[in-house]
Amino acid sequence: MFHNRTEALLLALPAAAFAAIVFLVPVVVLLSESFRSPAGWSLAAYWTFFSEPLNQAVFWRTLKLGLQVTAVSAVIGYAAAFAIVSLPPGSKGRMVGLIMLPLMISPVARTYAWIVILGRTGIVNQALHGLGLTDAPLRILFSETAIFIGLLQLFLPLMIISLISALENLPRDVVPAARVLGANWLQIFWKVILPLTREGLVIGGTLVFTGSLTAYITPAILGGSKVLMLETLLYQRVTVANDFVSASVIALILVVMSFATNLLLKRIATARART
Amino acid sequence: MSDPTYLTLEGLTLRYGDTVAVEGLDLAIGKGELVALLGPSGCGKTTTMRAIAGLLAPSAGAIRLDGADITRVAANRRQVGLVFQSYALFPHLTVFDNVGFGLRLKGLRGTALRDKIEAGLTSVGLAAYAGRKPPELSGGQQQRVALARSMVMEPKVLLLDEPLSNLDARLRLDMRTELQRVQAQTGVTMIFVTHDQAEALALADRIVVMRGGRIEQIGAPEDIYNRPVSRFVADFVGFENIFSIRDGKLWAGEAVVPLPAALPAVAGLAFRPRSVVLGAGPLNGVVRGASFAGGTREYVLDTPFGPIKAEADAGLPVHEPGANVAFDLPIGQAAPLKAD
Amino acid sequence: MSLRFPAALVLSLVILFLIGPFLIIVAASFSAGDTLAFPPQGFSLKWIAKVFTVESFRQSFVTSMILAVGGTLVALALGVPAAYAMSRYRLPFAETVRTIVSAPVIVPGIIVGLALLRYVVVPMGVPITLALFLAHTALVLPYAVRVVSASLANLRSDIEEAAILLGSSRLGAFFDIVLPNIRGGILAAFILGFVTSFNQVPVSLFLSGPGVRTLPVDMLGYMEIVFDPSVAALSSLLAFLSMGIVLAAERFLGFSRYV
Repeated sequence: MFHNRTEALLLALPAAAFAAIVFLVPVVVLLSESFRSPAGWSLAAYWTFFSEPLNQAVFWRTLKLGLQVTAVSAVIGYAAAFAIVSLPPGSKGRMVGLIMLPLMISPVARTYAWIVILGRTGIVNQALHGLGLTDAPLRILFSETAIFIGLLQLFLPLMIISLISALENLPRDVVPAARVLGANWLQIFWKVILPLTREGLVIGGTLVFTGSLTAYITPAILGGSKVLMLETLLYQRVTVANDFVSASVIALILVVMSFATNLLLKRIATARART
Repeated sequence: MSDPTYLTLEGLTLRYGDTVAVEGLDLAIGKGELVALLGPSGCGKTTTMRAIAGLLAPSAGAIRLDGADITRVAANRRQVGLVFQSYALFPHLTVFDNVGFGLRLKGLRGTALRDKIEAGLTSVGLAAYAGRKPPELSGGQQQRVALARSMVMEPKVLLLDEPLSNLDARLRLDMRTELQRVQAQTGVTMIFVTHDQAEALALADRIVVMRGGRIEQIGAPEDIYNRPVSRFVADFVGFENIFSIRDGKLWAGEAVVPLPAALPAVAGLAFRPRSVVLGAGPLNGVVRGASFAGGTREYVLDTPFGPIKAEADAGLPVHEPGANVAFDLPIGQAAPLKAD
Repeated sequence: MSLRFPAALVLSLVILFLIGPFLIIVAASFSAGDTLAFPPQGFSLKWIAKVFTVESFRQSFVTSMILAVGGTLVALALGVPAAYAMSRYRLPFAETVRTIVSAPVIVPGIIVGLALLRYVVVPMGVPITLALFLAHTALVLPYAVRVVSASLANLRSDIEEAAILLGSSRLGAFFDIVLPNIRGGILAAFILGFVTSFNQVPVSLFLSGPGVRTLPVDMLGYMEIVFDPSVAALSSLLAFLSMGIVLAAERFLGFSRYV
């Protein structure tokens, strides 16, 4: 441990100054623009933004999809995490690697594949037609469903990894103990496993939720210009309508949501460190 | 004993993947008995216990409890209690809720529930701790909560995994007394697993010595202690000087022990250190080490046929290291071994 | 426990869901046909070859590489001293520094890109390339700091003090003692930063112009006009590149220890 404060500041300053100047200042100015109006500071821009039905729809859709993806990834995540933690160490490591691998591939590539699968002449439609279940191809692409699937695939690994970590930290023997005391598997999950893995669930949940809220590529590719989410709406407002005010309103909403969930995450982390 | 075959294991075979942990085990335990499964790690005692609890399915054989075949009954419907070595208390629940967990699952609510829990806690002396959470309790207290949690379910059989191993000497005595009290009061059939012969000898009505997935010897503590049937059991209960008998001679490994006395027709002899007579006898050795142990003095002698451990009263004259000592191994004091 | 079969089933389905689509893309890149479809019609390497001939892909690949390598190097140059300061000193305002440096993780990239465009590029006439470079560096900085901090946390500080007592200067101790021991962490941070920067889209969306585009953004643009397997081929190649780097890092470094 060294004690020279000047030295310390000199070492840390370049990074902090860089981040502040390049990143913090421009972003703060952008966000503040949403409060600007000819009459000084006001919330007028927000009123205008939310009074438009399209914007409302986009806002609620973004929230809704975020929650849906989080909920479904939690259910699937627990199932997958259970399966993985009960594997022998070698297979377990390989499985975890396999789950993490998609995270290394560009989201463009990962989302793009869904076009091939969900398109009119895609695999799903081919299969449905082949099985005689449909006559005309179903329109799955460019819908909320398509975005949901794309986002789920993108963020599921994060949830699974969080839950694996939580399950591995379960106190020894609590599951067999509950079993011997008469609990069936549903009761064990609800009364023992869920409460004890709550933190992992919240960590995974915030990662998935924030990711879904602030996704661009997936809604862009799978939603197109018809089914917009907050970020694709932002892009559209700027490039099509030069509407920087709307853009800054959206930007602030996104930052607040992202910030709030991250704050929650920090709270959990410090609460855990205290016990 | 009211029902000597209250719990029976018939030809029980248990596997972990490719390894056979327990093979063809036959055991009958009576109602109200306190039985110890004793053996080194890997002998299959814990595996057997988990099979009785239903946490492990047998590959062959049957388990019967109180007349019913429970071999295929799920672990949560067996009316068997298990106190884990790690106690396995639920850290997110209070002591009160921990003890009430199983009762709540059975549908107990309100005053009926509360009374049962409080009775359970009082019986282990922890009524005042009902509102605490497990991490706030000491190890001994946690164990008693685990015990109460199992006992309030009024199990037909109570299993305990190494109940005294984690405790220091003083707590060990307390818990031993506690278990005996519980057994006397409720008459529950108790089976505990241990690697410590002192624990087994102190607590059990009967000891089952296990090795390599099979039973080596079953008997009352006195039997096990004084009349071990094999070298393995003898070694386990503290016989230090164990010899085999071949071609009418006493062998310590590959060396002959020149005892002039006539040998009984058994497979081997085991002598406790205290049975060795120092100072006179047909055998000779050099004192390699001597240590004072309070009431006794412990000696290690180097002899032509290997080391001999002996023990003498501390009041007797000391045999110094390096000194030559005559000694005897009186056959009458030896435990005859039926097998090697 | 009789959960073996359903567990295996669930796991297989999940893996299929996560990786299947990517495998489809890989298969589609070998298609002999002219449109992006699965199952691929025939086998051909023509699309993979085509990728290398598309001029804009080549340009944007170079751009992405420069940003990824350069940006990560600068991020490390800034981040390593900062991480060192936070771990070895009682830094005043340590929490503030940490928050500022980590902020880019919280703010969606698209906002950063827009903000830079609007308040740095346009009014100050800063060239887009520079702005893009700065943005990518800012984006990678939090990862650099975090990974190197983890490495430093695992290194006992008393060995530096021992070196000083033996006559070394502070700087000397840093280069002789600290650096060699956190080499693995720095390399891991580099790889993580590289992959993050290379795959990054939102930041680069607004900060593109004629001749200035990152590869993912270029691919997105291409996809809107032409729907042929070349994007599939390019995606596959890039994916194998990323995976290859990470797997090699894991093999030779034990990469997963640092992240």
